[in-house]
Order: sequence, then structure tokens, then C-alpha cells
Amino acid sequence: MHELWSSFRVFFSSLKLTVVLLVLSIILVFWATIAQVRLGVWGVQEHFFRTFFVLSKLPGTEIPIPVFPGGYFIGGLLLLNLTAAHFARFALKWGKSGIALTHLGLVILLIGELLSGLWQEEYSLRLDEGQTKNYSESFRLSELALIDTTDAQFDDVFVVPEKLLARGRAVTHPPLPFRIVPKAYYPNASLQMRSPATAPNPSLATQGIGLQVTTTPLALTYKMDERNLPAAYVELIAPEGSLGTWLVSEQLAEPQTFTHAGRTWSIALRLQRHYKPYSLTLVNFSHDRYAGTEIPKNFSSRIRLTTPDGRDDREVLIYMNNPLRYAGLTFYQAGFDNNDRTTVLQVVRNPSWLLPYVACVLMSAGLLIQFGISLFAFVARRRALPTA
Amino acid sequence: MARMSRRSALPFVLAAASLLTSCREARVGHYRVPKETPPPAATAPATDMASTAVPTGDGQLTWTAPAAWIAKAPGAMRKGSYAIRNEAGEADLSITAFPGDTGGLLANLNRWRGQIGLAPLAPAELEANLDHLDANGLHFEIVDFAGTANGAPARILGAVLNRPGETWFFKLMGPAATVAGEKPAFAAFLQTVKAP
Repeated sequence: MHELWSSFRVFFSSLKLTVVLLVLSIILVFWATIAQVRLGVWGVQEHFFRTFFVLSKLPGTEIPIPVFPGGYFIGGLLLLNLTAAHFARFALKWGKSGIALTHLGLVILLIGELLSGLWQEEYSLRLDEGQTKNYSESFRLSELALIDTTDAQFDDVFVVPEKLLARGRAVTHPPLPFRIVPKAYYPNASLQMRSPATAPNPSLATQGIGLQVTTTPLALTYKMDERNLPAAYVELIAPEGSLGTWLVSEQLAEPQTFTHAGRTWSIALRLQRHYKPYSLTLVNFSHDRYAGTEIPKNFSSRIRLTTPDGRDDREVLIYMNNPLRYAGLTFYQAGFDNNDRTTVLQVVRNPSWLLPYVACVLMSAGLLIQFGISLFAFVARRRALPTA
Repeated sequence: MARMSRRSALPFVLAAASLLTSCREARVGHYRVPKETPPPAATAPATDMASTAVPTGDGQLTWTAPAAWIAKAPGAMRKGSYAIRNEAGEADLSITAFPGDTGGLLANLNRWRGQIGLAPLAPAELEANLDHLDANGLHFEIVDFAGTANGAPARILGAVLNRPGETWFFKLMGPAATVAGEKPAFAAFLQTVKAP
């Protein structure tokens, strides 16, 4: 047992491990930078950094195999390596206090990045003037929403993440009165009105707008200014039999409706929603320009924030560098649309947002102290030298 | 000693990392929310629509339709929709936008030709069938196809606009006489299409 423990200690505190990990991280960053052309910044974060291994598919199959250590693996080991080296080698001495402080800053930076990766959430909130919303939407991920709209006041919502549709297996959820069977899923597709000349084969859809539309799969895009628009054909099967197959796509502006067992349902593929216990109304959006020019001077959104219990009912002004911070979320002014009648807010939750700042302060202080100690020692030595 | 130790520790490190690789599971969600109230714009009287600049769903293009055109609900696929009536019958103007080039200009024009019983154009014949219009910094490729639909003479006046990352289609289709009468209005309408 003791031998195992000491072998761990030697392994994790070795300087060779540091060098190997630094070399691996250089290769990883270089590889990811090249891959960014193909995968874009989101894809690279997922495939290379916020993962323990870089996965690649076995040629000719869909089986993923690890081919290189990922960001979490290298970062995690660096963290262990740094901590272990401190306990194994460094003695607490005044002369080394700067190095200890710098390393502590580095440890906090690594932990901060890990926590951001695990906890940070980013959503977008689009509001037209006069519109009220109590949810924000994902930037990229979609969900299939099946909504029982029978009640006059409330909607009963069932959501299936896009990931489950992509798997192609039937989805069941006990309170939902039917099974959802994905018949086809396209991560990016365009829709066109169907005509006999271009689409001689019958549609996969047997209900709704899908009967009049053809779906053309498109190559996935990873560009920053483009987005994949998924589409799927889903069959709903009740205990008494199939209700039909619907085409769903984010490009269909309105949900399709149907009735089952006396209740009215709607079905749609939409951006993943994140509901909040309060609502925001856009009172107005201002896009100020410098007089006589088209050069933007200021963008601002006047928002009314209300909670159902009436505890909060106030107007706030969101503009560049002046976000609204409320209930753990930060709402930034991110864009505008629709001839200045729609605002786009970025909604961010990041409980560990302070850690990088703390890390930078600690590292700067550590370096200042360490160089200061060396400088004072050097000056003292110079002074001690006999003058010629 | 050190080399042996490292060899014995390495498998543990790899095993621990593999255990941590498990990803978060996607699940079906179920919740109840109050019904969403539509934005006030949706309740604006429809009669004002035809002569008002209409912003599109994505806010990318605006246009002003002639007052005689009757605005219809855009529907699931359309950015804009109008009914145009005269004594010869009713024609339909649809405005749609799709990402990418949606299969290319030729394929889309041949799809339209198929709708009024015309044979597809060969790639070499494409240019001869196109007119071009530049307005407000936008370039439209315009076609005018005459054929038959349901046994009666039908005509399609169409304009295709390529924008970065997407293609817009303006299609006026209906009885040949109605569409012929609206040709000047359609050209004037395209002149009002603006990008922000």
C-alpha cells in the first residue's frame, strides 16, 4: 500500500510529467486551431477542450475511439501535478512566497475553467417591442415540443432534446399519452414546397405541412454567422395505433396542431427553452446614431421586469457594459433586429465568473513579489560591494 | 524505482479519466407554463398591412406592397403572402427564404416550370430565360414562365435573390391574364424590397 502511495506521489509530482503535459497541450491547441476551420469555435470547444479525450470514429463505423487526451484530461493532470509538486518539493519560505502565490493563481485559473465548462449556461432572449417572455432560448440546441394546449390558461409541455431524436430510438415518457418514434432526423436541412418534378417519391409525413414540403439534407455548418437548422420526421403512436408522421423543423414558423382523445396538441421543433420564475417585457429599443451619420452611438433596451407574486415590478435600462443582473443571471445587450423593433439579449449564468479575476490578481501579485525579492537582493548585493 | 512506480500509476490515471468521461444524459422534460400572450403587432388590423413596410420574420428584408394586394397570413413556410384579384381570377404572391442556395437557381426554376407543366430548362438555356434587376443594392434574377395549370393558361412571375447564406424567392403565380396585368406592379414591388 505504501509502495503504491509513493508511486503515485512520484508520478504526479514529477517535472517530466509537467513537460509531457505542456507538450501535449501545445499539440492539442495547435490541432484544435487547425480544426477550427472545419468545426468552428463551438465544435472545437466540445471536441478538444471540454472533453477528457479527443474522439475519432473507427474508419467505416460509427464507433468513437479516443485518439488523444482532451482539455479536461491534460488540465486535470496539470492541476494534480502542480499541487502534488508543491506538497512534495516546495518548502514554505519567504524567498519562495511569490512562486507559491503565482502557482496558487494558476490552480485557481484551472479550477475556474473547469467550473465554467461545467456550470456556465448561455442563452439568447429575443423580444419584440411590447412582447413579454418568461424564457430564454439556446443559441444552437433544439428540442421537439409536444404541447397540450387544451387548458385556457396553461400549456402542458413535453420536450424531447434533439440528441434523443438523433438517436432514432422510440421515446416514451409516462404522462405523455403516446410514443414518439423518430423516422428521420437531419441535423441541417432546407425545406422546399413539394412538386412532382423534383420529388416524385411520397413524403415520409402523413400529417400536417410535411405533405406539401420536401426536405433536402445540407452539410453541417460550423461558421460563426450561420446556424444549422435541424428537421425531423416523427411518428406519434398512441396505444390504439399510429396518429401519423409529422415533419418538424425550426423553419416552420408555426406549430402544427392535432387532436387526440379530446385534447388539442401542438407539435414543433424549436430552440431549447429555459423558463424563469419572472418575465421580461421590452418597453422600447433605442438605436442612437451620431447626428447626420449612420454610425451607431448607443444601443439600449428598456425592459420591464415583473414577478408573478408582485414582489418585483420595475423598469430597467440595459445597454452596452450595463447588463441587468437578476437571480443569478446576467442579461447583456447583444444585438437588435427587425428595423430596431426587436432586441436580442444574451443571458449568461456563470457562478464562477470571479475566479479568473482572482487568479490574475494572485498571479500578478506573485510575480511582482518574486521579482521584487530578487531585485532587492540584487540591489543589496550591489550596495555591499566595495566601491572602486 | 521511479520508472517502475510511474508504470504502475499510469493505468490508474487512465482508468480514472475514463470513468469521468461519462456524459450528461439527455432526458424528456415535462412542465406547465402559462399561455404565451402574442406580441401586440400580431393584433394590428390587417387592412393597414398592404401599404405598410413589412418587416420579415428575421428582420432581414422589408418591402411595401401595392395597396390593391391583399395581405394573407404568412403561414408556416412564408415570409410574406398576398392575394391579387382581378376579373380574370386570383393570383398568389409568396415570399419565402431558405438557408444556402437550396439546390441552385436552375433546380428551383425547373421546379417552378414543373408546376405549370413546362419542361425543365437545360443549363445552357438558363441565361436566355433570365432578366436582371438591381434595386436598393440587391440583385434579383427574374423569370416569366407561361404554361398551364388545371387545363387553364397559367403564368409564373418570379424573382430570386441571393443573400449571404440564404436565398429569397418572390413568386407570383396564377391565371395568365391576372399575372400579365400585374407585371408592372410586380416590378415596382421588387424596387421597394430593402435590406436593413
